[in-house]
Amino acid sequence: MLRFLFLVTSALLAAGPPATLPRIKFSDTRLPNGLRVIVSEDKYAPVFSIAVSYNVGSRDERMGRTGFAHLFEHMMFKGSDKVGPGEHFVTIFNNGGNMNGTTNTDRTLYYETLPKNQLDLSLFLESDRMRSLAITKENLDNQRNAVQEERRLAIDNQPYGPSREKLTELAYDSFAYKHSVIGSMADLNAATVDDVRDFFKTYYAPNNAVVALVGDLNTAETIAKVKKYFGDIPRQEPPKPADLTEPPQQAERRLDMDDKLARLPQVVMVYKTPPSAHADTAALNVMAQIVGGGQSSRLYQKLVKEKEVATSVFAFPMERGGPGLFYIAATVRPGKTPKEVEGQISEELSRLHASPVTPDELKRARASIRRAAISAQESSLTRAINLADDAVIYNDPGRMNTEPQKELYATAADIERVAKAYLRTSNRTVVTTVPAAAPSPASAKKDGAK
Amino acid sequence: MRIAIPLLLISSATVGLAQEAQQPQSMKGVVRKNLVPVSTNVLIVKFPRPVERRLKNGLQLLNLENHRLPTVSLALVMPFSSLSEPAEKIGVADCVADMLTLGAGSRDARQFVERLGELGASLNVQAEFGARSTTVTASSLSENLDAVLDLLSDVLLRPTFPQDELDKWKTRQLSQLQQVRTNPGFLAQERMHQVLYGADARKYIITNAEAIRAITRDDLVSFHKTYYRPGGTLAGVAGDVSTAAIATRLEKILAAWEGAVPPSPKLPLEQPIAGKKVYLINRPNSVQTALSLANRAIGRLDPDYEAVQVMNRVLGAGPASRLFRNIREDKGFTYGVGSAFTAQAFKNHFAASSSVRTAVTGPALDEFLKEFEDIRSRPVPKQELEEAKRAIVAGYALSLENQGNVLRQTLLRREYGLPDDYFDTYPAKIMAITAEDVQRVARKYVPVDNLQIFAVGEADKIREVLAKFGPIEEFTAEGAPVKAP
Repeated sequence: MLRFLFLVTSALLAAGPPATLPRIKFSDTRLPNGLRVIVSEDKYAPVFSIAVSYNVGSRDERMGRTGFAHLFEHMMFKGSDKVGPGEHFVTIFNNGGNMNGTTNTDRTLYYETLPKNQLDLSLFLESDRMRSLAITKENLDNQRNAVQEERRLAIDNQPYGPSREKLTELAYDSFAYKHSVIGSMADLNAATVDDVRDFFKTYYAPNNAVVALVGDLNTAETIAKVKKYFGDIPRQEPPKPADLTEPPQQAERRLDMDDKLARLPQVVMVYKTPPSAHADTAALNVMAQIVGGGQSSRLYQKLVKEKEVATSVFAFPMERGGPGLFYIAATVRPGKTPKEVEGQISEELSRLHASPVTPDELKRARASIRRAAISAQESSLTRAINLADDAVIYNDPGRMNTEPQKELYATAADIERVAKAYLRTSNRTVVTTVPAAAPSPASAKKDGAK
Repeated sequence: MRIAIPLLLISSATVGLAQEAQQPQSMKGVVRKNLVPVSTNVLIVKFPRPVERRLKNGLQLLNLENHRLPTVSLALVMPFSSLSEPAEKIGVADCVADMLTLGAGSRDARQFVERLGELGASLNVQAEFGARSTTVTASSLSENLDAVLDLLSDVLLRPTFPQDELDKWKTRQLSQLQQVRTNPGFLAQERMHQVLYGADARKYIITNAEAIRAITRDDLVSFHKTYYRPGGTLAGVAGDVSTAAIATRLEKILAAWEGAVPPSPKLPLEQPIAGKKVYLINRPNSVQTALSLANRAIGRLDPDYEAVQVMNRVLGAGPASRLFRNIREDKGFTYGVGSAFTAQAFKNHFAASSSVRTAVTGPALDEFLKEFEDIRSRPVPKQELEEAKRAIVAGYALSLENQGNVLRQTLLRREYGLPDDYFDTYPAKIMAITAEDVQRVARKYVPVDNLQIFAVGEADKIREVLAKFGPIEEFTAEGAPVKAP
């Protein structure tokens, strides 16, 4: 019987994708104060996850205040009217839960997973800080330190860290996406208590947020509780949306960087892509999988295995609410040059322009999409985060149900078309990083030539 | 179909933790207003128990049948690792593990990875240096299980170890040896293992260039033939397959697999090192110092294991712990800080670690030491103790969501020979730990007078301040000793 099923599935995959993928069911309501509430029941394990996503990210920062959205995220753990500084995370961990916060260009997200009997605990904590954040100079200075250490850990003390920052600076024209999420040390130092107060009033309003809850919950009871805790938080004037428009890129942009912490050269290239709500996103994602998703991908087989010019290579679509990036990164093998690596990547990409991807490649990409869509059903936290973020960024909480389906239907012709449309030299930015002080003189001489 | 997980509620009377509105209380780095509505019940969950069956070839099957998702995860745990390697053949176990999927049965490396891709499946072999076991993991949609099992049997029984793939593997490994030396965490771990386990192969967390070059195809064939055997191997399965079905299939595809894994070498766990010492690893251009404070502690089967879990929850596990509240929240020296016990068959160490900006290397070490001394010298206050225990017991509910995690925990219990009801009795064991237990194990396993410090950073900027904490031995980022000037 199983063998029979397997054959049927293979036949379907070869002829075209299967018609359905698992779907996540959810309710979607809005409180009178504008707070969007999404609930999805799953009684499998006695736990639930909550995700509170605010429609604010580094794209909303002004010049001179880079890193502020993320610094603000840290302030959200420093107390509110009925919650002391740090009491938020201590209460969650001491009751068997997990939690964190995270900021990107487009949104700021807070989340917790807890045993199912602690729903009131989580709603109380999330609503109290949305209503009444404690804004003090002491809290700000304290978290400024933690954030600056986060910057050192992630960027300044890491090989290729500064290169990552320069890459987006060079690739984007609009300030919204040009600067890094972590921000500069100088701007972090410049942030004031007034900035915190303004930001809180403008962006941390119920009508600018989505609460998603997934797990061992009753939908009606849960919505009633969300009303009880969040219902009296006043709505605010909707914030002015950030300007994300990018003028079309006219010519290739390039930068060579020296890196004092790196030991091997690295080549990173990005191609500008449309906002992720665009119809081409599905084909771009399938193309990334075929070109650089894992060991069966074209780039891995060519650069790492066949030509042995790189030690690692991958391609990845960086999806955003605004213009995105199709990202390719390769680490250069000792004794080889960034130029050789770049040449091999370009050759592989031009193959995409010249001939369609093969049926076998499509079949593998679709199997991987299907597998990922099924795996995404497992964790309540993954689902809560997807529901909340997709509602905030795309106004489409069910995106995790529909996007994989679109990807399954992307054809070889679609991929050829998006390759021609976006993978153009004039549409790309290339940053090459070379070790500034090579550890062994032999590899330095070979790799240092620019 | 869902599997209902039976629950038990322990009332607050049993747990002894009633939260009432009180005056704000201050713990270091945190102020508590105690107004949050906390459910005082602790959910005690029933951890799923596997069905066990011994297969004809000696393989021990543990099946956690669960039809929630149309997927199956599988893990073969084989009791050998790098510790079984001949002394002059460092890294052979790791190389065999990597090479098994680079040519097996009728498929070459590319065909193998493409076949996995078209099945939407994964198959990996992991041989961690110094571990008890080597693990083969596979996961698949249940409809493709048969095809993935065919690949598994090729890997176990019919690897081809192609010479050209071995040559390419060596090239990649030699590059990675360079790349990994940029990572401060790696440099600290490498030195720590050299110091704590210097007498035998446990000191390696990675191989070296000379050893990589020396590996031959014959070494791989011989190691595989000797160690990849069913006797003593656990086959854990979780997901959308019945025990009868998976047992039948494994017996069929692995019918030709026989024999037993040779016993591991005897490597007893040793007592903590005496005396203070600082190991300084120079990483030029660093803007932070990566610190690890360590010494040998306990193995997995030590009767102090549960007490140590509670003590470490108070000291350094997670953001509610003392180290985090003090060094990050109160002092702002770091983004993250914590402590952990590595309690395994062949490794037994405690390590607290953090990356701090270079200028506060000394003050950060002072704070670590204050916390170490405090938990050793003063009984943990009642509320803090009860909350640490509650955190561990209540947190168990979260571990049930992920099928792979339940499988890993089940296999670990079985590997260490812990009783079938171990997860059922664990909450009661944790709740029984007293403040005296915590202080006793802190004195025994949290190092102060014999603290071994590993510091990775810009040596010229931190050498002087480190001297306060013990005699310094210095190394380069290549791992070579630096002679005192």
